[in-house]
Amino acid sequence: MDRCEISAAFRDEGCILDAGFGRPQIMIGQLKYAVKYALGLDLAGNNYTVYPDDTFLVSYPKSGNTWVRFLLANLIHPNETVGFANINRLLPAPGVLSKRFLKKLPRPRILKSHEPFDVRFQKVIYLVRDPRDVAVSEYHFDLKKRYIAADMTLEQFIKPFLAGTTSSYGSWWEHAASWIGPRYGNPSFLLARYEDLLADPVGETAKIAQFLGIKADEERLKTAVARSSADTMRKLEQQQADKWTGTKNTVKEIPFVRAAKSGGWKESLPRHSVEEIEVAWFPLMNFLGYELQARQLDSKAMPVWSKTGQPS
Amino acid sequence: MRIPIVKHLIAGVKRALGLHIPHRSLVILPDDIFLVSFPKSGNTWTRFLLANLRFPGEPVNWANIDRLVPDPMGTTKRDFDRMPRPRIIKSHECFDPRYPRVVYIVRDPRDVVVSQYHYHRKLKKIEDDSPIEKFVTRFLAGETCPHGSWGQNIATWLYTSEGNARFLLLRYEDLLADTARELAKVVTFLQLSASPEQIAQAVERSSADRMRKLEKEQPDRNTLMKGSRKDLSFVRAAGAGGWRSDLPAPQAARIEAAWGHLMQHLGYELSSQSPAEVREYGSLRDLSGVPR
Repeated sequence: MDRCEISAAFRDEGCILDAGFGRPQIMIGQLKYAVKYALGLDLAGNNYTVYPDDTFLVSYPKSGNTWVRFLLANLIHPNETVGFANINRLLPAPGVLSKRFLKKLPRPRILKSHEPFDVRFQKVIYLVRDPRDVAVSEYHFDLKKRYIAADMTLEQFIKPFLAGTTSSYGSWWEHAASWIGPRYGNPSFLLARYEDLLADPVGETAKIAQFLGIKADEERLKTAVARSSADTMRKLEQQQADKWTGTKNTVKEIPFVRAAKSGGWKESLPRHSVEEIEVAWFPLMNFLGYELQARQLDSKAMPVWSKTGQPS
Repeated sequence: MRIPIVKHLIAGVKRALGLHIPHRSLVILPDDIFLVSFPKSGNTWTRFLLANLRFPGEPVNWANIDRLVPDPMGTTKRDFDRMPRPRIIKSHECFDPRYPRVVYIVRDPRDVVVSQYHYHRKLKKIEDDSPIEKFVTRFLAGETCPHGSWGQNIATWLYTSEGNARFLLLRYEDLLADTARELAKVVTFLQLSASPEQIAQAVERSSADRMRKLEKEQPDRNTLMKGSRKDLSFVRAAGAGGWRSDLPAPQAARIEAAWGHLMQHLGYELSSQSPAEVREYGSLRDLSGVPR
């Protein structure tokens, strides 16, 4: 699918209406939209008001965002049972909520986002994951969502994945570079690796809590981590898959909460594909501490990153 | 309570009819061309150049430029839908992965700050005697426009897109030095065809003198200057290096201290620091505090 078609469909769902203005059935859609818009019930997409005290949990898709949403929701709302059915309310994703809902949230808000650099986002937790694992995870997710043909192989998936056409948010490189490039080192920017979070969930969640100014003792952190475990999330998914935008109307045989680990690419990603990813993105992978496997890449051949490389 | 609902309903109907300003919800087509820059970096001049090249039958002026090379923040969705393709669209946005092809114009930030200072006087956002130091402080913090700071805007594009075949980086200073040559680069990048004569005509029709003359004739025909002071011109010096006389040395030094690494990378010579003092571009890999 073309990058722009995807954009139109996902990024601002209101835009679907824009596709064929003039036809009668579309006219009704337009009218419905006008009324929804008037009542503030249209989906916010990325056309919503951002406040300077908002914090955004940002990541490329398939990088542990939902898990961290559960962690934070459990941390902030210890008296609620966090699940897929209420996660959009407890740690809201503006893209699938109405403007009115977003406006009524108590401030400061914590919002989820997959957007590449957005200058309006002042305070950002940027969650990053090894792109080789992201590739495998996104492949399975896209099969689940029927975004790609059921017979597409993982190997075939890598080319569009590298080009950034499998996602409406750009490629993994573009996404990570757009945030890390201008913001790294800034006190209102927290870089968190999915792998570190897996290795030490309590310690890493504590760092995020501190960044958010949430006072949480060890006990509360441990409870949040336990309530957000992959097993718990799998159980919840089985019960509530139809109650969440992320899993509604998808291929149920493929789970949303899949392996929930790091390094899975070593078993499932063909050697050739590993090499393709590393050749394309090794400078940023090096920066993030993701060890290269396929071959030794000459660090003198650093393209973009070395030339422009420091945060501003 | 009633009035906002009526207002919203009107906005909703406008939206349904495509009469709203699309802003970030503009539907991008795969052959769209985006002309991107931080504000006050020669974007309007380049719009004139490209529009004059693309529409030779309709000499470009301040009244038609918003239709020929529109801005998603200032032109209605319906006008966008009516444009001939491929569309050339103006933008000041930071990196956006949806843009299929990007011509990015960069200008020496020391000239940008001076230009923006005078533009803000024209827009009555600041007084004539407003101190430049104060403006530089806001400029560095990215508070003088809604498109990030100069450093942020350029960094989001360089880090993500430099070296990419869909991205062409142009320096305003090069465009000034040899307009025809740089415009020819854009033509090649966009796979358009234009003879040297056509390029020369576009350059001539977009000269600073002609743009100034048109501005006098049409002082209120463009959103960029509507309601602004008429004793100050939108098309100002149209030159490079003006900061050497207009920007006090300590202010230039502040800009260099913040963005010296980006400026050097772009070939802008630093006045206050020897290259050794500038943070190395080096790689982000070498920074301390980096995860393992």
